[in-house]
Amino acid sequence: MKLNKFLNLNYLFIFIVILLSIFGFAALYSAADGNLNPWSLKHAIRFIIFFLMMIFIAIIDIKFIYKYTYYFFILCLCLLFSVEIIGTLGKGAERWIKIFGFSIQPSEIIKVSIVLALAKFYHSIKFDNIGRISYLIIPVTIIIIPFILVIIQPDLGTSFNILMLGIIVMFTAGVRIWKFLLGFVVFVVSLPFMWNFIKPYQQKRILSFLDPESDPLGQGYQLIQSKIALGSGGFSGKGFLQGSQSYLEYLPEKQTDFIFTLIGEEFGFLGTIFILVLFITLIMISIYISIKSSHLFGRILSAGVGTNLFLYVVLNMSMVTGLMPVVGIPLPLLSYGGTAMLSIMISFGLLLNADINYNLKKIES
Amino acid sequence: MFYSKQKKQFQILNRRTFFLTLFKLGFFSVIGWRLFNIQITNSGKYKTLSKNNQIDVEILYPLRGLIKDRFGIPIAKNIKVFDLYLVPERTNDIELSLKHLSNFIDISFKKKREIILLSKKVKKFEKIKVFENLDWKTLEILEANKNHLSGIELIQDYQRIYPKNELFSHLLGYVNKPSKIDLRLPYISQMPSLNIGQQGIEKSFNELLVGLPGNREIEVNSSGRIIREISKKPSIKGKDINLTFDHKLQEYLYEKISKHKAGSIVVMDIKNGNILSMVSVPTFNSNLIIKKPNINYWNSLLENSLSPLTDRSVQGLYSPGSTFKMIVAIAALKHKVISFEKKFFCEGKIEFGDRFFHCWKTKGHGNMNIDLAIKESCDVFFYNLAIKIGIDKIAEVAKDFGLGQIYPLEIPNQKKGIVPSKQWKKDTLKESWYGGETLIAAIGQGYVLTTPLQLAIMTSRIASGGKKIIPSIIKDKNINNQNFELMVKYSEPLKIIQKSMFKVVNEQKGTAFKSRSDSFQFSGKTGTSQVKKITLEERESEDFRKIDIEWKSRDHALFVGYMPATDPKYAISVVIEHGGSGASTAAPIAKEAFNFIKKNNLS
Repeated sequence: MKLNKFLNLNYLFIFIVILLSIFGFAALYSAADGNLNPWSLKHAIRFIIFFLMMIFIAIIDIKFIYKYTYYFFILCLCLLFSVEIIGTLGKGAERWIKIFGFSIQPSEIIKVSIVLALAKFYHSIKFDNIGRISYLIIPVTIIIIPFILVIIQPDLGTSFNILMLGIIVMFTAGVRIWKFLLGFVVFVVSLPFMWNFIKPYQQKRILSFLDPESDPLGQGYQLIQSKIALGSGGFSGKGFLQGSQSYLEYLPEKQTDFIFTLIGEEFGFLGTIFILVLFITLIMISIYISIKSSHLFGRILSAGVGTNLFLYVVLNMSMVTGLMPVVGIPLPLLSYGGTAMLSIMISFGLLLNADINYNLKKIES
Repeated sequence: MFYSKQKKQFQILNRRTFFLTLFKLGFFSVIGWRLFNIQITNSGKYKTLSKNNQIDVEILYPLRGLIKDRFGIPIAKNIKVFDLYLVPERTNDIELSLKHLSNFIDISFKKKREIILLSKKVKKFEKIKVFENLDWKTLEILEANKNHLSGIELIQDYQRIYPKNELFSHLLGYVNKPSKIDLRLPYISQMPSLNIGQQGIEKSFNELLVGLPGNREIEVNSSGRIIREISKKPSIKGKDINLTFDHKLQEYLYEKISKHKAGSIVVMDIKNGNILSMVSVPTFNSNLIIKKPNINYWNSLLENSLSPLTDRSVQGLYSPGSTFKMIVAIAALKHKVISFEKKFFCEGKIEFGDRFFHCWKTKGHGNMNIDLAIKESCDVFFYNLAIKIGIDKIAEVAKDFGLGQIYPLEIPNQKKGIVPSKQWKKDTLKESWYGGETLIAAIGQGYVLTTPLQLAIMTSRIASGGKKIIPSIIKDKNINNQNFELMVKYSEPLKIIQKSMFKVVNEQKGTAFKSRSDSFQFSGKTGTSQVKKITLEERESEDFRKIDIEWKSRDHALFVGYMPATDPKYAISVVIEHGGSGASTAAPIAKEAFNFIKKNNLS
């Protein structure tokens, strides 16, 4: 049985994941001026650990996952709450929490749990009931609570990401279009009330985030530098380790959010398009798994994982190419950062699991 | 039925998935197009931009070394000052910013206009200097109100300051921007706007005091804005200079001499040649010269007829008067022209050639031997000696005792003075020497010219029994007793001279007897050098010396001395311009100086 599961793993998907992480390893090596430290070695070790975890998640019983989905969501929510509480206790804006010596960013993990929770919810209800307004309450709650907790951190990028993810998953599940429009109107109308609901220091944090004057050098300036680096890479790039580095030095997150810029400078248009194609292939595989799944849980889960990846990639690439303002969104498997990788590898494990179990008739135990 | 329902749901889901796939691919296409746009279509533009980011090297100026007195008290140091800048890009309205600023500091209308005009010319990130060296009060006000001020930036700088103000100004000099010639100096060639020493010790020790520049490699984009720092090598502070001067003694002597219009005092340590104090009045204040604008102060210094910028200790040339008599006496004893017992009769004047040479004591001293002649400073006795030994032998001794030469001191612009000789007159004046000139020289008048420093050195050499003491102003911790060369040939004559100089101060009829001290014993010699020729009528009027003469026509008052009388350690020279007589004006100052040294137990 277990051996059978190994044989049924999607090896194309796994191969691309490994390929991308190797690209990440190389880019981080270059970002540190040809040094394994401080990023690339850690990146590789993390990847190996999380890869094993991904395979483990892929082969465990999908019924087990289905059963504990809500508990997982509540656990993630607790972590997110605790970050907000620690922030309130005076340490200022915090996105991190320390667990067993590891810094974890609950706002990244929560995305997977949202996808899982929504998948279980829509799997568990009858299709007739999807149309009922009362059946909107739970999914909306699942999305809105993390959204609010993350936006007051304030992490505008991730909170927007969460909102988009939730909406797209609900859309995939079959919720009517007009309800989204209604939701949009309700959201806009309730904004002032939400504003009054949050505490003044949280308001201040969000305002200072929105205020462009708070960044005197200007994000526009960072973007120009990112574009110069990409553009000067040209068609085939300057070559591995040949990037000038100088444009990236003053990009505050060259090893995380702007790693794609570095790849673009050193490997040129060929490199960036190659990375883009790899990501598109992963997303296409997730859509394929979604369509072939015989049960709603697998369908929504796969679509959600794909959408999650899609949002990461699109938001990050739009940001570094100047299509969107700079918000902190990493590029999965390439950017340095443990929690984002943990989150994405859990989601990949779930996707592979759904793939193995695509033909399962009954999930509820 | 269940299955058909699920089938219907899956149909909807498939439709939506298909729609979403298109949606996602659409986004990816946009990104692909964007990448193509940046990396292919506009690649050339970005490549050019990337090259325009260039690396500049910014020189970091070093902090100037301190100058300290012998106790380590800084007499030239650096203090933090703040300059006020306006940064156009940090304010929306420059005029408004200036208006707000003018609530706290006075800004002239003209200055405001200049800044506004300048702000339109410079790049928006370039800083415009509004004020230099803000005082602390203004700084506090600005700091307290910084929330009301936009676009201003305070940048820290250092300024040279002389804590003792005018006390050491002649010695230290001052700092200023280098001249074009200065810029050729290798150690400042990279730093065109570094303040360097322009006078005095600040100038002599520039190379040590300046330190080493550091640098900062910075990346600058095409418009000149600093993007980032690539590397930084900090500057190295200049070396501190430890001088032999004693600020307390300096302060005391300055206070004493300030009662007179002009003059100088030099005190040195006989054992090691260390100069302990050098004062010269009138003086100036280096701090006021550094402080810009200084044009009014400069003019006041230049217009002052007493030329305060002259350091009289090394640049003031004075006839040594009777203090020169020791030299003549040593020459006579050394060449055995006379014996100790040999007496001349002083009747107030002596005839030589076709004219009379007068003694200061019109009535005459009577019978004088060499000992009495020094003690009572009899001119006629020395006229007689001069006739016997001749100018050249006197000149030789004068040079051995340090007159007529420049010392390897780190004090620029020393004057050499004149020790006349037959050869000297031939070389400089193209004339031959007249016998009468020897007589005038023998009482330290005529061509003989010395600086107060030279007189102090002469005194040290006499007091030490003929050691060729070399003065120094740099404190050397290891050396308390310098082994100077001993001029053995003068040992016997000096024993006699020292006794006579002791009697000058400590015996009745000695010219400085009134200045003797009960608590310590010192030796010395007074000198009164004539500034204006005394006419015959004046001389014949019985009490011409008592008449209140115009200040400028009064004699210079001199005194040289050493303490203690036996195994002396300190030598002094005092010159008071137009001070009257050495006995009345200069000797009391020397006594007070020795008293101060004694009381404060100076090392």
